[in-house]
Amino acid sequence: MMLPAILAFGLPYNTLVVAAGVAAVGGAAGVVGGLSVLRGRALSGDAAAHATLVGVAGALLATGQRSLAVLLAGGLVAAVAAVGLLVLIRRFTRTRDDAATATVLSVSFGLGIVLISGMVARGVPGSAGLERFLLGHTAALTASDALLLGLVSAAAIACVAIGLKEATMVAFDPAFAAAAGWPAAAIDMVLVALVAVMVVVGLPAAGAVLVTALVVIPPVAARQWTDRIVPLLAIAGVIGVVSGLAGVVISSLAPRLPTGPVVVLLAAGWLAVSLVVAPSRGLIARWRARRGPRPDAPSLVSGRDG
Amino acid sequence: MNLRPATESPASSSTGSIPLLEWHDLTVAYGRRPVLWNVDLEIASPCLFGIIGPNGAGKSTLLKASLGLVPVTGGSVRFWGEPLSRVRRRLAYVPQRETVDWDFPVSVMDVVLMGAASQLGWFRRAGRRERELAGDCLDRVGLTDLAGRQIGRLSGGQQQRVFLARALAREADIYFLDEPMAGVDAGSQEQIFAILAGLRDAGKLVVAVHHDLQTAARWFDAAALIDMRLVAAGPTAEVLTPENLEQTYAGRRGILDELGRAVARGVRTP
Amino acid sequence: MHGWAVATAAVVAAGCATVGTLLVVRRLSLLGDAISHAVLPGIVVAVLLGARPGDPAVLGGATVAALVTVGLTRLVHRQGGVAEDASVGVAFTTLFAIGVLLVTVSGSRIDLDPGCILYGILELVPFDTVAVLGVELPRAFLSAAGVLLVVSLGLWLTWRWQVFTAFDAAAARAAGVPTAAVTVGLLVGVSLATVAGFEAVGAILVVAMLVVPAAAAELLVHRLQWVLLLAVCLAVGAAVGGYLAAWRFDTSAAGMMAVVLGLEYAVAVLVAPQEGLLARGSARLAYAWRVRCEDRLAALWRAEESATPAAASGHLVARLALRWLRLQGRVEATSDGYRLLARGRREAEQVVRSHRLWEAWLGRHAELPVDHLHPPAEWIEHHLGARLRQRIEQDLGRDAVDPHGSRIPPERG
Repeated sequence: MMLPAILAFGLPYNTLVVAAGVAAVGGAAGVVGGLSVLRGRALSGDAAAHATLVGVAGALLATGQRSLAVLLAGGLVAAVAAVGLLVLIRRFTRTRDDAATATVLSVSFGLGIVLISGMVARGVPGSAGLERFLLGHTAALTASDALLLGLVSAAAIACVAIGLKEATMVAFDPAFAAAAGWPAAAIDMVLVALVAVMVVVGLPAAGAVLVTALVVIPPVAARQWTDRIVPLLAIAGVIGVVSGLAGVVISSLAPRLPTGPVVVLLAAGWLAVSLVVAPSRGLIARWRARRGPRPDAPSLVSGRDG
Repeated sequence: MNLRPATESPASSSTGSIPLLEWHDLTVAYGRRPVLWNVDLEIASPCLFGIIGPNGAGKSTLLKASLGLVPVTGGSVRFWGEPLSRVRRRLAYVPQRETVDWDFPVSVMDVVLMGAASQLGWFRRAGRRERELAGDCLDRVGLTDLAGRQIGRLSGGQQQRVFLARALAREADIYFLDEPMAGVDAGSQEQIFAILAGLRDAGKLVVAVHHDLQTAARWFDAAALIDMRLVAAGPTAEVLTPENLEQTYAGRRGILDELGRAVARGVRTP
Repeated sequence: MHGWAVATAAVVAAGCATVGTLLVVRRLSLLGDAISHAVLPGIVVAVLLGARPGDPAVLGGATVAALVTVGLTRLVHRQGGVAEDASVGVAFTTLFAIGVLLVTVSGSRIDLDPGCILYGILELVPFDTVAVLGVELPRAFLSAAGVLLVVSLGLWLTWRWQVFTAFDAAAARAAGVPTAAVTVGLLVGVSLATVAGFEAVGAILVVAMLVVPAAAAELLVHRLQWVLLLAVCLAVGAAVGGYLAAWRFDTSAAGMMAVVLGLEYAVAVLVAPQEGLLARGSARLAYAWRVRCEDRLAALWRAEESATPAAASGHLVARLALRWLRLQGRVEATSDGYRLLARGRREAEQVVRSHRLWEAWLGRHAELPVDHLHPPAEWIEHHLGARLRQRIEQDLGRDAVDPHGSRIPPERG
């Protein structure tokens, strides 16, 4: 029943499948990002995201394969390495976290640019296509690519669903969890790894520079609507899904637009709306509360429970 | 309450029983700098035990090292003669309130349920039994009416009681509390103390880091004075003497501080 | 031609490292990251409104965008009730997305393409020139030089305030320093440096030039003015080195500059005095060796004191330590082992003195049974120095006996 309405856009089947895949990525990124933001690690994925470029380029250089699965696998290796590097810097140097993140982020991005630029200059086949990972470009995705994205996203959501108790416990109070015998540090690392996976999987849609937004903006928007965890994650997921879906549809109607900025702005739009109209936390609700009861309201004092 | 230095092996002691908690030459370092030096003490039976000392004396560190939250550089901790890994089920921890982000989207009941669920296995969710237990614990601390409230909207005393209820939900035998009375109004303090005393009367050991000497004398059965090392330990009345307090609070710690820095760098002090 | 490109890159690097040092020291690196992304829409809007690249209007647009970023961050943080880093993430990705969208949609009216935004077009810099006093100079070089001048001047004039605010913002405010203005000034400086760097190295790599030189420099030196100077040197070095490497390997200059900066950081981590990996490793080895040697000396001294022969040590390291001590003239070899020489005896005495003093002190001031005193003393005997020993001895009073009843050797200069 919905299908004819969508097809009325005149979009080919392939685009719809890609849209579904990207929607799944958006949803999973929102959910995983929700936990990450709660844990106070909103930008933990940023360094990993910029580092993926090295991995993607390296994968092409090393294997000559252009399939999305191979490239993203390379990206994942680099993302994990970036996170590992941050851990090492924290452990062995005086450099503070923010400077360490900015360092790993920019240097690894630079290395990625060096690799891509060098490959393009030498005419390595497929290297020109790597540019799409900078800002996201879904037009080049195939249906099987979308399937890969969808499966990984589904697996990520499943992980969160299964381990929700453990993840929440560690996110809220790692000391209590550790004292109770739970491997808090390991569970934390799993969360960071999930963020790395989502950041990699989000590359085709949003590109290395903007993919962090997929993990940060939906949870911030969702937080305006609810005070409970499961609804928070669910709403973040929904916002991610809608943004991803609409992003692909819009950018396929205007092929010059890179997908990344479109998806991000859609999510940001949701955030803006949430900040204004959300019940009890939104701007309108707070303004109403400040104004107080209306002067001509009937007296509420009743003699019954005196 | 039967405290004694941990020299005598349990076999040679008068009662012949295994101590509830034994710190044996415990030395703890942050990085490579020792902050707690050779703490040696046994607690043989359930009581309300206070850990008292000035700021930065290593009181929280002692608690955290006992629970394995901070690595131990030398010596050991044993519970009923067993190492920590075997007895975690029987321990509960109430950390300082500042360690948590009170904006976290969970309700009072959610937090207490986390305590009950912490005893479950991997990926098992809280069921009816856990819910009933959590409700029970909320009742004991007097927060049943606030069960649905988000934790950020509680007073200091209420927040402390939520943490306490979470610990109670573990149904443990030894409770470790880090500054349970900090930033809590006097009325709530008495309430919390009553709950802790109840635990002691039920045969549990309660170990609490505490900062106020006045109330310490009133509330705790026994205490340890800590200033980077164990200065004195025993029944509260015997321990909180002017000489001991002077030893603890008058800062002989400077020597340990300087030594600690030298140890961290692997050199002699100047 | 290459010369101008390198010169421009070097000037850009110097300007970025200058403001970047303060960013790093004040833990505002991520804000610098955010601003370098967020200035894009400011630049684009200015250009769309008719400004030419390099006009002050572009710098103005960028500065406005930077302030909008800060404002947006604060809005999301306060109104949205989420952590500061999440708010920064929201602000800069949104603004950057707007910028990219504007660029794409404006098409031919702007001659910026997304690649240029992200990694600059240093190669084209020498060709876009402006006549100054009859000389043709690259416009980008002029802007960068101008920015460097302005930020250096601004920093020099407000130096005391900047340092105070960086060290302790609350105390500075209490002392009457206009910390808000100081911070805004810093952020304006960052926007200027970012815009100047945009053309040369693009948005992301500007971040490298802002943060990495200072991150490396602060590992090597400690006073703020030296950190600043070293950061500028490292940045200029990376600009030159990166350009040369890119030319050699036929790849992106901007990327190479970031890579060289990363290498500089890695080297700093290795060779930093005291905290560097090499220094720490060798300090540990030196300590372990000293402990072994002192243990041998103390064993020989105790054997002398109790008139029993020293136990022959089978351990390889112990034997090596004894050989080393012999080379140093502290012991001499005899028919049945080793014997202390005068120097060695003095040193051994101080080790045993440290041991027994510590046992006495710990026994007096800590609740420890007597048979628990030896292990900690075995460890601390290597760390007590002369002054602390005298303090401990004073504290203990005139009884020169350790808890086991042995005499405590006196202090020997």
